[in-house]
Parts: sequence; structure tokens; C-alpha cells
Amino acid sequence: MSHLMILSVVTFAYFASFVLYLFRMIFGKELWGRAASFLAWAGLAAQTLALLLRWKASYDLGIGHVPLSNLFESMIFFAWAIILIYLVIEWRTKNRSIGVFAVPLAFLAMAYASISPDINNRIEPLIPALQSNWLTTHVVTCFMGYASFTVAFACGLLYLLKNLDKSNTEKPSGFLGKLPSLVMLDALIYQSIALGFVFLTIGIMTGSIWAHYAWGSYWSWDPKETWSLITWLIYAIMLHARYVRGWRGKRLAVLAIIGFVCVLFTYLGVNYLPGLHSYLQ
Amino acid sequence: LLKKSNPLWSFFSSVKLTIVLLVLIVLVFITATFIPQQDTAQKFVWLTDLYHSPLFYVLMGLLSLNLIICSINRFHVSMKQYKAPYFPEPPGIFENLPQSQLIIANKEMNKVSATIESSLKAKYRSVRKIDTKKGRVFYGERGRFSIFGVYAVHLSILLIIVGAVIGSIFGLAADINIKEGESVNVVNLAEGKGIHQLDFSIRCDKFIAEFYENGAPKTYRSDLSFIKNGQVAYQESLLVNHPLTFEGLRFYQSSYGTSPETKAVVTYTMGSKKSGEIVLAAGDTFDLPEQNAKVTVLRVEENIMELGPAVNLKIISPKKDIQFWVFKNIDDIKAANPGLLSKVPLFNPGLFRPLVFSLNRIEQQYYTGLRVVSDPGVPLVAVGAALMIAGLMIVFFWSHQRFWVRMEQEEAKIRISVAGRSNRYNAVLQRQIDNLCKRIGQELKA
Repeated sequence: MSHLMILSVVTFAYFASFVLYLFRMIFGKELWGRAASFLAWAGLAAQTLALLLRWKASYDLGIGHVPLSNLFESMIFFAWAIILIYLVIEWRTKNRSIGVFAVPLAFLAMAYASISPDINNRIEPLIPALQSNWLTTHVVTCFMGYASFTVAFACGLLYLLKNLDKSNTEKPSGFLGKLPSLVMLDALIYQSIALGFVFLTIGIMTGSIWAHYAWGSYWSWDPKETWSLITWLIYAIMLHARYVRGWRGKRLAVLAIIGFVCVLFTYLGVNYLPGLHSYLQ
Repeated sequence: LLKKSNPLWSFFSSVKLTIVLLVLIVLVFITATFIPQQDTAQKFVWLTDLYHSPLFYVLMGLLSLNLIICSINRFHVSMKQYKAPYFPEPPGIFENLPQSQLIIANKEMNKVSATIESSLKAKYRSVRKIDTKKGRVFYGERGRFSIFGVYAVHLSILLIIVGAVIGSIFGLAADINIKEGESVNVVNLAEGKGIHQLDFSIRCDKFIAEFYENGAPKTYRSDLSFIKNGQVAYQESLLVNHPLTFEGLRFYQSSYGTSPETKAVVTYTMGSKKSGEIVLAAGDTFDLPEQNAKVTVLRVEENIMELGPAVNLKIISPKKDIQFWVFKNIDDIKAANPGLLSKVPLFNPGLFRPLVFSLNRIEQQYYTGLRVVSDPGVPLVAVGAALMIAGLMIVFFWSHQRFWVRMEQEEAKIRISVAGRSNRYNAVLQRQIDNLCKRIGQELKA
């Protein structure tokens, strides 16, 4: 079975997992949640296998390189990282509620990668600028950062949803009662942002080191560089607002959503601005 | 203390200012990415070079000042935390503890005391004890240094800013194009800042561009010789991602191209005698000594009249002056158009009898584009980057955790209370307390 076929099965598995998380939320039965987690773990394992197969396939073509070199491969890795970070949090907190927001985001990334006509899924050889050992560390750290921010975004949405419920009625109704407590969501938003911030910092720095070797300058004010710095600053503002000014809860949730919009623009929106990082040309 | 009452000082020591400045910087960046930078045709010139505009410099200057003053202002608070005494424990810390943090021991006092001490020592530093009215209190802690993590991050940002300023003042960035076989000792400074004379010259011995089957570039390589005082001092191949360093300057493979000048490689035969290859550009001349004639190349064409590469020659001799074309694919052209040469003598490569010219090939001349850089700020930026990562790891993944354990006689038994405080994450602290209780309980049983 080719890795592309496995990836389409994985896309379906993530969708099914999302539906099961939804059932868990609607019917309130943990059985649905267990099935959803199982599918997500199975999808993650299959996707890992598919990534390894794609890596091997590139060597069979004689142009061997790590599968992190174009928009398709980065999108697939993004989905992989979202599922990985989400499942680790699910396992650590023993709570499946975030799944209903996190898993569909991974599904969307997978689906977009396979459906969008702009995205080419062929294994392509590396152009000279990409032939560097920094490719792997730069892409892996950046996307682990993006994925952490995505999980923070999911927690932020959940927080606002739960908060909405609290302001409407005294007693938590139906599935909203099953959501993690606001205090816990607040802690999860903060922790995933802290993790993402460290990854993004390392990602920007490995990118700078690479640029130093490839272009002769560690910083060129390329739109992607500038937007990664904007994202970094937004999260830095958020962390300061929390530490020093004691921002918590709803404000933090809103900032997690704003931060995620910046992440998306850094990743995809920037491709429509001229610059050195454009994947689309 | 005088500083505290100074309104300017309190203005710069506010975190509100930090947040406002960061938001303004973000807005500058967003504007800059949507307006193409360095497009001087724009009306508002400063808007097209925001990263070098006074507005941006002022914001960065204010941010640096804010960062320094905030850090100084908070430093004594951190110092106080750092020097915090081990005893007495924070008031009320042993009150209302959950059952899980209480242990009842049936052993004698000395043994229990030794057990608590060894359990603390197994995981924590600065373990000590004190006897109070309410019993013996033990202390242990970890991560005291993490209080200073935030200063490492702030210092790292300042180092990076200083490194960037040093680089922009004392650094050099320039571009050179060198044709194959030629050498250059003058470089064009970036952003049209003029030229810079090198005290050595660089020769491009060969430029190679390789392509994959799908047409995407595979390798760009320049074989360079660095020549000093007329001698080759260093010879190396330059590839993308693998810069070269010579005399403190770094050289990068940044572009390539073909020079407008194309060269023709021509030979001629006279009877059975064949000449060597002659390489010529338009305007070049060469002599034919036997005929007492002089040949001038008028044009070199890569593809003329869809008939392929050709060269237009003019021969001046005592007998006559003639002009004609020499096609590379003359045999194919003759085969496709029988009788062509008698109809169009201009296309006859043997028009200047008894010589017959042939065009072997047209040579595109490559030039390599190099970027030349020297940035004395790089080491400082690198140190700043490493410090920032270390600092962030400390800030996010460490915390100052302090533990107090009290042991008191309660009738025939000994009651042990375990409590802790952390400057961050209570979840992590709770796990530590639970583990500590478990360890004390296990060691008491053993």
C-alpha cells in the first residue's frame, strides 16, 4: 500500500475520531470517547508509518530527503503534530473534552493537503537552498510550535464555550457540564502556549542559523520571518499580561485565538506576499 | 530609592509600557509586510523602508530602555526571593492540610527525624532542620536559580539588539558578479551604497549549474580562486549552504546568470588541413596569414531564422572583401533545401575559397553571483540566542519549589506534616509533595 493511500485512510480515521468525540459530548457516554481516542492513536501510528514510507520512497527515487520539504509535506506533519500533542495532553489530564476541537483541526489540515489544487503531493527533489541539515530541525520545531498553539486555540474555544454556559445558567447543562473546569482549561491554554513559545523560539533560531549559512544573513525581513516574529511577540505579550498583570481566563482564551490567527497567517497567508519562503511559486 | 520617585523612571518601569510598545512594533511589522519594502517609487519613502525608519529605531530604543529599567526595578524583589530565609516557615502553612499530606509514625523520634532528613536529601538541596516549640521543622528546596531565568531572557534580547546594531554599523554586505575566467577585486555594496575595494581578487574558474529531470535546479557551484599579491592564496568550490571564508569575509553563492555576450567556437579546413578551435565574440578579429586576410565576427546568434546557431563573418583580403553566414547545422539545412547554397551564396560556409568554415558550437558565458558579508555582530547575536533558549527553558520548565516538613509528638505517636510553596505551577508542586509523602511513608515502613 502506498503512503498516499495510508494518508487518505488516516484522514478518514481522524474524521471518524472527531465524530466519535462529538458523540461523546452529545450523549455523555465515555464509551464513545474511548473509541475516539483509539481511532486517533491508530491514525497517529498509521500516519507515522506513512511518513516513514514517504521518506523511504524518496530514497528509492534517488532524491532522498526528509518528508518536510514542501507545503503538502509540512501540512501532513502539522496534522501529525496536532494529534501527537493533543493525545499527550489527553493522556496526562485524563480528559477527552478537547478532542472535539483539536482532532477536526488535524483532519482539516489533512483534507486540505489532499484536496487543494494548489498543493502538489509528489515527492520532489530538493533545490540547492533546501539542501541543508537545518531543514529538519527548523521545520520540526516550527511545526511543533504551530501544533501547540493550535491545541491552545482549541482550549481557548472550549473555554469561551464553557464560559458562555456559566453566564447563562446556574447549573451546567448536558455536555457542557462534562467539559474540564475553567481553571483547568486556563492552565492548559497557558501550558500549551508556553510549550509552543519555546518551540517557536527554537524554530526561529534554527531558521536564522540556516539563513546565516544559506543567504549570508541571519535576518532578512522576509515576510515569513517578520510574521513569525509578530506571532512570537503576540504570545510574548500574552505571557507578560499573565505573569505581571495577572490576565487569566477569558482574556487569555481570546488572546489564544488571536495568536492562532497569526500562526495561520505566518504559515499560509504569507505565501501570498512576495518573499523567500513562498512554497507556491 | 530616589529613582522610585522619579516620574520618568516609573514611566519606563511599567509593564503597561512594554505591552503598548510591543503592540506598536507588531503594527509596524504588519504594515511593513503589506507595503513592499524598498520600493523607492512610492510617495511616502519612509513607509517603504520601515525596518530602517526613525520610527522603528525609536520604538526599539524605548523597548530596550523599558526592558533594562523593568529588569533593574524587579531585580531586588528577585534577590529578596533568592535570599529568602529557610525558617520560619510561611505562617499557617501546616494548617488545613489534606489527609494525604499527613503521616502518622509509630517509631522513635530519632529514627523518624533521620528518615525525613534522608527523604528530603534524596531529592532536594539545602536540607536543614530547626527545633521549634511545635516540634522539629525540616526544609528542602530545588530550583532556586530559576528566579533569575527571566533576567537571562531579557539580557538575551538586549544582546541580540546590540549585536544587530553592531552588524548594521560595522558590517558589510555586498554583491559581485564574476564571469567565468575573470577576476574581480571590487564589490558593489548592498542598497546602492557604492563600491568597496578588496585587497585581493577573486577569480571564477568555473561555474556549474546542474538541473534535475523536472527542470528544478540541483546544484549551483562556483570554483573560486582567491588571489593575493599575484598568487593564488586559496582555491575552493563554493556551494549554496556552504559559504567560504577568506580574510574575514564570508562568500555565499547567491545567484548566477549568462552574460549577454555569447561566444562562437569556429574551425576552418583548407584541403585536408584543419585549424584548431577559435573562440570568438562579436567584434573579435583573427588573421588568416596564408591568405593575407583578416576575419571579423559581425554577429553571433543563438538561433537565427529558426535555423539554429550561426555566426556572421566578414573577410577582408587583397583579392576581395566578402561577408557570409556560417551555420552550425549547415548539413541539415542543405538536406532540407536542395540547391540552397547556389541560390543563396551568403549561406555558403566555403564562400572564401579554398577555406571552409564550420561553427562547432555557441558558448553561453556564465557569471556567478556572490554575496560578500562581514558581520561582527553575529557572535553576540549567537550568544544572545543561546542564552534566550536557556532562559526560556528555565522560566517555563523550572520553578523554585520549597518544602517544609514538621514532626511533632502527638501522645504516643509522631505526626508528620508535609507542605510546600512554589513561585509557579501548583500542579507540579503537588506532584512533588505527593512523591515526598510517599517516600517518607515507604522509608518509615522499611
